[in-house]
Amino acid sequence: MNTLKKKIWTAYWLATAAMFAAAVAMVFAWTPTEATMGTVQKVFYLHMPVAINTFLACMVTFIASIGYLWQRRQVWDDLAASSAKVAVLLCSIVLLTGMIWGHSAWGQWWTWSPRLTFSLVLWLLYVAYLVIRPSIESRQRRALVSSVYGVVAFLDVPLVYLSVKLMPDIHPSSIALAPEMKLTLLSCFVPVTMLAAGLIAARFHLQRAETLSMQEADDPSLDVIPVRPAGGLT
Amino acid sequence: MTKVLRQIALVSGKDLRIEARSRQTLGLVVVLGVLIVVVLGLGLGPQQVASGMAATAVLWVAYLFGGVLCFEKTMAVERHDGALAGLMLAPIDRGVIYAGKLISNLALMVALALVVTPVAVVMFGFDLSASPFGFAAIMAGGFVGFAAVGTLFAAAVSSTRLQGGLLAMVVFPLSLPLVIASTQMMARLFGEGEPLGSVGLTVLIAFDAVYLVVSWLVFELILEP
Amino acid sequence: MTAITAESIMPLADAVPGTASPAVAMRRLSKRYDERWVLRDITLDVPMGSYLALLGANGAGKSTLLHTLAMLSPATRGGLCLFGESAARPSPALRARLGMIGHQPMLYRDLSAAENLIFFGKLYDVSRPKQRALDMLERVGLADRAQSVVKTFSRGMTQRLSIARALMHAPELLLADEPFSGLDVPSVRAVSALLSELHADGKTVILTNHDVRQSLELAQRVVVLRQGGVVSDRPVLDADAEEVTREVIG
Repeated sequence: MNTLKKKIWTAYWLATAAMFAAAVAMVFAWTPTEATMGTVQKVFYLHMPVAINTFLACMVTFIASIGYLWQRRQVWDDLAASSAKVAVLLCSIVLLTGMIWGHSAWGQWWTWSPRLTFSLVLWLLYVAYLVIRPSIESRQRRALVSSVYGVVAFLDVPLVYLSVKLMPDIHPSSIALAPEMKLTLLSCFVPVTMLAAGLIAARFHLQRAETLSMQEADDPSLDVIPVRPAGGLT
Repeated sequence: MTKVLRQIALVSGKDLRIEARSRQTLGLVVVLGVLIVVVLGLGLGPQQVASGMAATAVLWVAYLFGGVLCFEKTMAVERHDGALAGLMLAPIDRGVIYAGKLISNLALMVALALVVTPVAVVMFGFDLSASPFGFAAIMAGGFVGFAAVGTLFAAAVSSTRLQGGLLAMVVFPLSLPLVIASTQMMARLFGEGEPLGSVGLTVLIAFDAVYLVVSWLVFELILEP
Repeated sequence: MTAITAESIMPLADAVPGTASPAVAMRRLSKRYDERWVLRDITLDVPMGSYLALLGANGAGKSTLLHTLAMLSPATRGGLCLFGESAARPSPALRARLGMIGHQPMLYRDLSAAENLIFFGKLYDVSRPKQRALDMLERVGLADRAQSVVKTFSRGMTQRLSIARALMHAPELLLADEPFSGLDVPSVRAVSALLSELHADGKTVILTNHDVRQSLELAQRVVVLRQGGVVSDRPVLDADAEEVTREVIG
């Protein structure tokens, strides 16, 4: 990485951190505390932006998977795998914050409410994606199976949504927010998205370096092969 | 069109003939299904079993594991001695291979269900009489979607060496919405006595349509001898 | 080493004008598997009615090349035309013009010899598949085992049945991947006679082999592959077994 790139990278993370700090300050110092739930409600400002970003990360995996099926280029698979990792991380946060919320709202860590079930199934879908990958040895085969999986898994998301709708619901469907709350939510959304994008980019960068170090040169011509001593069998 | 149908019938007819001759898969799958029902019946104990509703979940476990075994076996027939390459050389659309395999898998799963369902119904005292056709419709909808994904990934996974657990790892999470939807519908149908409305059926049909169309589109890309 | 001429790397459209198209035309065909290039810039024309032997050590890319020609897996780069039609999106009609013998028999072991042939015959829309299957069994000397299940067959018998399967639909181009490997002497003779017969009928035959002398006796032209690239290409008449062997070994 050259120095300019490095500088931009550092600036990006600094900005993200600063915005996170500002958002946290806003959440605790400025936004009014919700009447019925109290302080625990504030976990919502993390929960919701992360949930949206989980979905975005899954979508990146989906698009990259289609890209791989279309062009069969390793870059796409590297991107799909990177964003799937981030999606799982984010989805774990969604699940945890959801459970914290649920514990204070309904007094139970886990209920089979539609949304919690939805998050859990989504999490399982992408955890499975991550554990399937290393068990396929050939890089090409792995990329192919994972990209098909990445496509079907994403299309599964609306189906999961439809099916959990059939379950009895206790989750708040729409929440009335004070204007300050909306602004805070927005101010949390920006750093979370930056964090998610930054993580995907960092992961992708690592993965790319690894792939390129393993791959033979892009030029298939015979001239590039080093001459071996005569008489040796392959 | 009739030509395509004839080719599909040819491919799956060949599978079923091989199965009829060796009876390997069906024997294995049926016994596994019954075993699962018995193990869960014992594990849940008389109190839980008496509620009857556990039967739908137990049946799904049996169908999922039995189904994965069917998908693996019907694909193994093609992998053995490179027969799949022979099929791929032939002047037929890849979709024909997919449809043929899907039908073979569905035939095996229906045979499995015909044995395992009565066993579970009896053991769990599950009263089907409220809506036997509703039950059949929900299960049929579930089977088509499950087999659609299973057939696709059986072809993708079995050219890698690690088969057994891997196919289940791929297919189970993807089939979760089917399981959720169908168990919820069963609960409404038999637990609360609500009739199976057009909404429920539409959901199942939408599932099957998505799985079938995507699998059919992608199958060509993943098929390798 | 035969130099690659300027004409041979011309764009495919120019090189293949209409009717005079060769059975197989490859243009800078390359294939990457995982991290490695297994085929490198292969440019070859195989005219109709020729008999070509692909030689090379294990891992030189012979089987991969045949698989690519059979349109079983796509090339990573480069162009491939069969009978003047692009192999990128092959029509069923194009697939019907080629037959293949792989190093796996491509047969269903739980079906009988006749059932296998009839199944593949029907897939290819062969007219009167039953009669054709019996004729083919006769031709490869398996008529008396028509009703036996394939898994009871010896290696030689399986190979002969595999050839019958590949010829059920009378292909114009036959690809044979190591057709002699693991066969006893009489079977080798029978198989090589069958291939020569096909060639005499005006069909195009491409086979891979690691036996240099045998290939020089059978084929018209030998192409040596090493590390996925073509290192020599010459008519059999100009070839010297010692020299070709040296090229194979590298």
